[in-house]
Amino acid sequence: MSIASTTTHSAAEARDRARRAKRKGQRDTRMSYLLLAPYLLLLMMFGVFPVAYAFGLSFFDTIEMVFWGLANYDFVFQDFRIPASVANVLSFVAIWVGLTMVGVAILSLMLDSIGRRAANTLRTIYFLPGAVTSSAIVVLWLFVLDPSVSPFQPVLHAIGWDTRADVISGIGLAGIFAIMAYFSGSGGWIVVFGGALSSLPAEVMEAARVDGANRFQLATRIKLPMIWKSLVLMGILSFAGGLQLFVEPQLMGLAGPQFAQNDWSLNQMAFQYAFRMGDFGASAALSTLLVGASIIIALVIVFATKFYKLD
Amino acid sequence: MKTQMTTRRAPLRLSLGRFITFATLGFAVCFYGIPLLWLFIAGTRSEASLLTDPPFALGTWEAFSRTWANLTSYNNFQIVTWATNSLIYAVGGVLLSLIACIPAGYALAASEFPGRKLILVLTLIAMITPSTAVVLPIFLEMNLLGLNNTYAGLILASGFFPFGVYLAYVYFSTSLPKGVMDSARVDGANRFTLFTRIALPLAKPIIALVAFFSFLAIWSNYFLAFVLLSDDQLYNLPVGLTALVSGSGALSNLPSNDVPIKKPEVVLAAILVVLPVLVIFLVAQRFVRSGMLSGAEKG
Repeated sequence: MSIASTTTHSAAEARDRARRAKRKGQRDTRMSYLLLAPYLLLLMMFGVFPVAYAFGLSFFDTIEMVFWGLANYDFVFQDFRIPASVANVLSFVAIWVGLTMVGVAILSLMLDSIGRRAANTLRTIYFLPGAVTSSAIVVLWLFVLDPSVSPFQPVLHAIGWDTRADVISGIGLAGIFAIMAYFSGSGGWIVVFGGALSSLPAEVMEAARVDGANRFQLATRIKLPMIWKSLVLMGILSFAGGLQLFVEPQLMGLAGPQFAQNDWSLNQMAFQYAFRMGDFGASAALSTLLVGASIIIALVIVFATKFYKLD
Repeated sequence: MKTQMTTRRAPLRLSLGRFITFATLGFAVCFYGIPLLWLFIAGTRSEASLLTDPPFALGTWEAFSRTWANLTSYNNFQIVTWATNSLIYAVGGVLLSLIACIPAGYALAASEFPGRKLILVLTLIAMITPSTAVVLPIFLEMNLLGLNNTYAGLILASGFFPFGVYLAYVYFSTSLPKGVMDSARVDGANRFTLFTRIALPLAKPIIALVAFFSFLAIWSNYFLAFVLLSDDQLYNLPVGLTALVSGSGALSNLPSNDVPIKKPEVVLAAILVVLPVLVIFLVAQRFVRSGMLSGAEKG
């Protein structure tokens, strides 16, 4: 493109060019939105609208369809089962997040200190249970926790647990759900940290080695600090996911009615309100609180950290 | 060289360290590997063998085929219906998520326009928010729209996949050749031609990656399907699996009934849920690596 000449036409030309650029800009904007249209439609339908709708609904008596302010929230907070499920979910989250952070960090660092081929094979083995998801995790672990069929039978018997009820009361429900979730979810993270660790700068490792650091010091003093932020992100994401626990307690009843835990977690309570009591307003109020917690966590991650690329 | 020498000079301490390392890694192999291995072996064993033989006794072909026949023919071949449903939800949902994610990621990466930042932020929030958090709100909405208990309802809901948009956005912002794009624009190509002629041919890896992750999410979706579907003819496999177990009491160790679904049939049904994902994992491990890295590490 040539630089505009200094004739009398230049002003008009510049105006013309500006207008053309603006038109082109508008055309580009329209085209961008055309490309975004299917996604934006889904984002509205399954992201923005449901959250807004549940928020709105939470202020209504949904049986009579009259506005009644905070009555649904009041109802939820008065429900004697809610404090218990808050405690349940928090104890699950504490165990699960702790297990995930410690387990993933230790296994990733150890894998990084052994031969590459062996490490890759082991990583694959750790990762495969990720294929066991949702209801299949619970079904599999109900077998594994049953001393009459379990592959860990000798161990369970040695501890003195002879029935599934012994195992469940021995470990505790929060611990059992945490083990189930860790079994399926941690391998993917170990793969991620395998990639992160292998891309740490080789000079730093070499320098530390020359300075006489052994493998243990290398892992704890050099590598761990370098992956620490990502470990924290994993912890936060696990925390956010853990608050929404539903499937594992909901399916305990598969082992028989005496094992059923229908109001163990908060999401189960929201489900109970809608499906057992037909009280959509109360369900919406509790869902709003749960979504709200997730959104606050997400906002913190997006704006207070640099983990995700915004521009 | 240097390291090997140091290794030799302090054999005792380091060998203890090595011992702890290998013991821990070996323990983890047992924890992750044994339940999975057991599951696949148990599919070949009879109920009696499961209860009396050692945990890893192999089954017989005969036991396996009897279990298979019991499972597939039960309730008028219901599990076949569920498997077909799972396939319909997966194919429909994956296609929809691709149609939505790939152009959206491209538009966000390749152009500046009013509202872009807001869409990016909303996408990140939607991606970080666990999908389970919006299941009940989506149920309340679908109830309003009358889309509960339809194929379309679940497919539409599973086509919303913000993580895929983010992956496509990261991919296009790092891999589009700026020079080619600029010269094509000077030649008068509009955004749409740019997308179809230049971006799409480059997009094969990201299409595969998004399809992979969205398939995983949809195939294993239990909570949303469970809440949206009450007609058992519409169940997917994960919901069907639980219906099978609770309908037969196969896991409850109560006195037996005459439902042909026992422990081996339940194991086999669980294998049906797990196997497709397992196969895809083994075939496409590198996808997971690159995808999870860009999801969790780039910044």
